[in-house]
Amino acid sequence: MSTLLEVNGVSVSFDGFKAINNLSFAIGLPELRAVIGPNGAGKTTFMDIVTGKTRPDVGTVRWGEMGHSLLTKSEAQIAREGIGRKFQRPTVFEDQSVRDNLRVSLKKPRGPFSAMFDRVTEADHARIEEIAAEIGLSDQLDRKSGILSHGQKQWLEIGMLLAQDPRLLLVDEPAAGMTTDERNHTADLLKRLARSHAVVVVEHDMEFVRRLDCRVTVLHEGSVIAEGSLEHVMGIERVIEVYLGR
Amino acid sequence: MGNSIFVRNRSVPIFIAVLALVALCVTFLSPAYGTGALSVSFTKVLGMTLCLCLAALAMDLVWGYCGILSLGHFAFFGLGGYMIGMWLMTARTEAVIRANLAESPIPPTEAEVSQATALQIFSVVGAEDWPWMWAVSDSLVLSLVMVVLVPGLLALVFGWLAFRSRVTGVYLSILTQAMTLALSLYLFQNDTGLRGNNGLSGLQNIPGAEAIGQERLSVWFFWASALALGLGYIGAAWLVSGKFGNILRGIRDDELRVRFLGYPVEVYKLVVFTLSAMICGVAGALYYPQAGIINPDEIAPIASIYLAVWVAIGGRGRLYGAVIGAAVVSLLSTYFTSGRAPDVDLGFYEISWIDWWPVLLGLGFVLVTLFAPRGLAGLFDYVVRRQDP
Repeated sequence: MSTLLEVNGVSVSFDGFKAINNLSFAIGLPELRAVIGPNGAGKTTFMDIVTGKTRPDVGTVRWGEMGHSLLTKSEAQIAREGIGRKFQRPTVFEDQSVRDNLRVSLKKPRGPFSAMFDRVTEADHARIEEIAAEIGLSDQLDRKSGILSHGQKQWLEIGMLLAQDPRLLLVDEPAAGMTTDERNHTADLLKRLARSHAVVVVEHDMEFVRRLDCRVTVLHEGSVIAEGSLEHVMGIERVIEVYLGR
Repeated sequence: MGNSIFVRNRSVPIFIAVLALVALCVTFLSPAYGTGALSVSFTKVLGMTLCLCLAALAMDLVWGYCGILSLGHFAFFGLGGYMIGMWLMTARTEAVIRANLAESPIPPTEAEVSQATALQIFSVVGAEDWPWMWAVSDSLVLSLVMVVLVPGLLALVFGWLAFRSRVTGVYLSILTQAMTLALSLYLFQNDTGLRGNNGLSGLQNIPGAEAIGQERLSVWFFWASALALGLGYIGAAWLVSGKFGNILRGIRDDELRVRFLGYPVEVYKLVVFTLSAMICGVAGALYYPQAGIINPDEIAPIASIYLAVWVAIGGRGRLYGAVIGAAVVSLLSTYFTSGRAPDVDLGFYEISWIDWWPVLLGLGFVLVTLFAPRGLAGLFDYVVRRQDP
């Protein structure tokens, strides 16, 4: 296992409020990691920094075997490096069919002229069908994604993430709005992905995290306060304190 | 050709058929080739309307599909008109000068002809030399290149500055308004080289076509406008039907998501904005020879706002909506403001349509926004939906 992403000593503040305070984090390939923490712990800001949406005040973000910095790259460049992100609120193109949503996500050249002359090849078609089967939307491919249920939109966004074929997946609350069966399926899917990818899952739901059965990083007030197995971190007094809100 | 644009976008064959039918009707009613039920001036109005439809189509590409509400698109339309207007005026004036000088005992030199032409064109603004921007005005081919190049270049530079700084929404709209206002004010000055507020005139006289006459020319220009609109429609439909169109609509609905998929959003915006400006340039270059005159007033901010209103009334994001909106509203506007509509005498008050047309248009805009938010073309949805459940 080699280190894929290394965040070191990163801090960022908004109007004096320190959202991230000297945070360090590393994940290898392949690995599954759950990030937990109470509201306002900085989980989403952490993802914003990695994906280039927010620039940190200090610190470094290094990527890949060569360890080059991500801090000078735009969101789109970082995405093309192989970092895929699923948002907390499902964001899919509601006005377009499920098939088109998957099609624009497929890993292909991203320039405007490639897009103009793009044709759906046999391989693309097969990949779309395969992903649709994986996310249980095979019979919904030609329907507008806007009419899908909340859970189905979550699935579609996970499918779009799969289609991009990134090396690192940042997944923000994937199980929200899903039934128990769907949650189990999501957990299984993420575990399977983690055999060949690096996957970071932000989640509130402890049952879901337990099911992921992986290393856990606990964030609080913008810093890592514990890291290890779920049993281990839940035994640490500071973590209990934070979660019970004392 | 299973993947051809005629199959992929159902509106294309229907649109082309309707356009061909309109062109046939106009031809059979025209004074030159038919019954003469249409006057020369009305044939020109119809041809100009098609050019406005093409501009609206270009507007729909940026606004309806990519969510960029440009309120400065008539700047590109006007620039296209100015570019072809310079050639028309130069060639026409030069022909007249040559005809006059032919009677003199000593044949004039080229320099003398050029000087006399410049004096004829620019004496109205107190100048007698060719300004630099007229450098290619003696070449039709180069002038036609300028028709797409100049608006395209302006859009490219403006777009690059605006999109790179991530200016979006209402701020971008204000910037585009400022762009067209600045250009219009610049052209109003006498010493900028485009004859100030006099503009370019006599554009209906096509050099070398004096023998053809306006009766036939009006129909020819109508055909050319119809051809441009037809080709523009096919091109635009091709653009928005494929993956490029999916990404444009993605940018309109959720720009951030498109970024995180790895697409360079700024480049896409720049491409569609520039393409759209070039289409507007072509539309303007066809419009002004039919209108006969262009002046800086044409690119005043209000013109670009009207363009947006047409697209909104017709229905955004569906190409034919923009065409329907532009055709219906601009024809009604011509009807009400040219004195063709009979004034209504209420006894205590006389409704003069020239004054009341803006009120009518505003009312129509409000009604469409309230009761048909998808525009006039949105009404087709009821018919189509019945076909495929």
